[in-house]
Amino acid sequence: MVETAKTSSGDIVYEAAGLKKEFDGGKVAALRGVDLQIRQGEFVAIIGPSGCGKSTLLASLGSLDRPSAGTLTYRGNSIPDMPDPAAYRAHEIGFIFQSFHLLPTFTVAENVQIPMFEGNKSRSQRKERAVQLLKSVGLDHRLGHFPSELSGGERQRVAIARSLANGPSVLLADEPTGNLDSDSAQQIMELILQLHRDLGMTLVLVTHDLTIAERASRIIAMRDGRVISDQAADTPTTALQ
Amino acid sequence: MTFFTIILRSLIRRPVRTGLTLVGISIGIAAVVALVGMAWGYEKSIEKQLDVIGVDLLVSNMSAGIMPKVFDASLQEPISKLPHVAETTSVLMQLLSVEDAPMMMVSGREWDGFTWNKLEVVEGRMPKNADEPAVVLGRLAAEVLKKKVGDTVQLETSELPVVGIVDGKAVVENGAIILSLSVMQKATANEGKINFVDIRLAPGTSKQAISELSEKIRVIFPEGRARAANEVVSANQGFRIARAMSWSTSLLAIVVGVLGVMNTMLMTVFERTHEIGILLAVGWRRQRVLLMVLCESALLGLLGGITGVTLGAIGLKILEHTPAIRGLLEPDLSAKLLLISVAIAVVVGVISGLYPAWRSSRLSPSIALQS
Ligand SMILES: Nc1ncnc2c1ncn2[C@@H]1O[C@H](COP(=O)(O)OP(=O)(O)OP(=O)(O)O)[C@@H](O)[C@H]1O
Ligand SMILES: [Mg+2]
Repeated sequence: MVETAKTSSGDIVYEAAGLKKEFDGGKVAALRGVDLQIRQGEFVAIIGPSGCGKSTLLASLGSLDRPSAGTLTYRGNSIPDMPDPAAYRAHEIGFIFQSFHLLPTFTVAENVQIPMFEGNKSRSQRKERAVQLLKSVGLDHRLGHFPSELSGGERQRVAIARSLANGPSVLLADEPTGNLDSDSAQQIMELILQLHRDLGMTLVLVTHDLTIAERASRIIAMRDGRVISDQAADTPTTALQ
Repeated sequence: MTFFTIILRSLIRRPVRTGLTLVGISIGIAAVVALVGMAWGYEKSIEKQLDVIGVDLLVSNMSAGIMPKVFDASLQEPISKLPHVAETTSVLMQLLSVEDAPMMMVSGREWDGFTWNKLEVVEGRMPKNADEPAVVLGRLAAEVLKKKVGDTVQLETSELPVVGIVDGKAVVENGAIILSLSVMQKATANEGKINFVDIRLAPGTSKQAISELSEKIRVIFPEGRARAANEVVSANQGFRIARAMSWSTSLLAIVVGVLGVMNTMLMTVFERTHEIGILLAVGWRRQRVLLMVLCESALLGLLGGITGVTLGAIGLKILEHTPAIRGLLEPDLSAKLLLISVAIAVVVGVISGLYPAWRSSRLSPSIALQS
């Protein structure tokens, strides 16, 4: 659904200009004019105080919510005007949430297969792909378990496997380690970074945690619905630790 | 995992609610099966009776009531002289309450007519002549009334001895009290009156000849009509009332079923808004969500339909053996009725799911963000 011809112009994946989002009929302004560009293969961390609009921005990028004003494109195509936003959500991006958002009545393997119903995989191909993805996140021994039987870190691994179901090129993660203890958080971050590195996925990650943000190639800091700084993090994280 | 697994899983996860909804819809469908089965059975047994007796055409005045209006017995003679008529016989048939039985078919038949001669005595004897004040009972009628040869039955104001038990091959025949026309006329104060002239046609009478014959009968008897035996059943007002009542009661049961399923589906959708948000967030199309809810609802209907048809069939079997009904009708438990009922249940499911499905497909994927 996305014309690849347009991607060549500087590999810009996302471009926002004057992006605004209001809630409750204008009473709450979550985004007050955001301008940004995200390029192919970048790891962008979005930081800022609670309520500054990080999740709202990520939801706009993921076409989960419509902006109120401004323009927002994905590889040159306007996200709010996409003819088939479901296909974009299913195939182009993977979304990872802070509280995992697995479906409680489905097993680990089934949860990973849910997005594959949008696509033309056969039943056995879906199953096979789910097993393969769960293996890659180290959970192939829990296929038949339900989310309630897993630890937080394990649940997030399942959610990551699910986000990769249809082989997206972009990963949008909203505080993926926010609900995890530090050990699990560390492991989940390593997993996400590995995907970014090994699969060359563009990664946009919202976080409170500066040590995580510092591992990004770029840090966008927000406040009150605006971007207040946007700079390359040229210092390797390890140097700061 | 298939799409069907997803649908089934959401019904199984709330066993109590799914169970209660199934109970609701299956009671509705059971009512449909029982009511319509009775109405159809009633019609079928009459048709069968006419078939067994060998009546080809029936002349009667169907203008009002459950049974045809009485008319003068003298009309038989001119009818019997018409072309293609092989044989005629007069009948005065009424539904009367007899002792403990609320509705009994009581059939007064012209002495020595072909409808008499079809009967087979299984016990006792036939009346000696047209004027002997006596009755014979169909096998089932004897059971229902708990009478044997030698007992008496109270018919309106007359007390008549039972002289025989007969087998008439059809349920309606076997469920009837049968007596000579003149005795019947006396007992019901209908002297000189009948309400049917049964006609047997000459072999090989064409359709064309039958309609010409009907025209001629209309000239002789303007209020009456000659109908093919099976046509009588569908034209009878009593049958039409029974049919209309069974369908309208069924409709009520169906409406109740729709409301029950719709309520359940709406509750499920409200409870699952967050999950539906997740499905949309991971890329499910709105149509797929819509289809999911609709299929869930249809599956509820299908399961409810199957349980309902089973309950209804059991109910009909029980009714069939109830003294008040026994002998009067043989419920129709045809595959057609069972299939129609299951189909109705599925349609109920789909209709009930339309609004909830539409609601759920209008949800925003941003709901997934709320934890
Ligand atoms: N659906 C909504 N309805 C009304 N207001 C909303 C809605 N979603 C977000 N907001 C408001 O928009 C602002 C930005 O919210 P957002 O969730 O983007 O913040 P955030 O930066 O992600 O915060 P946190 O770090 O706490 O997750 C907040 O003031 C929030 O209350
Ligand atoms: Mg947030």
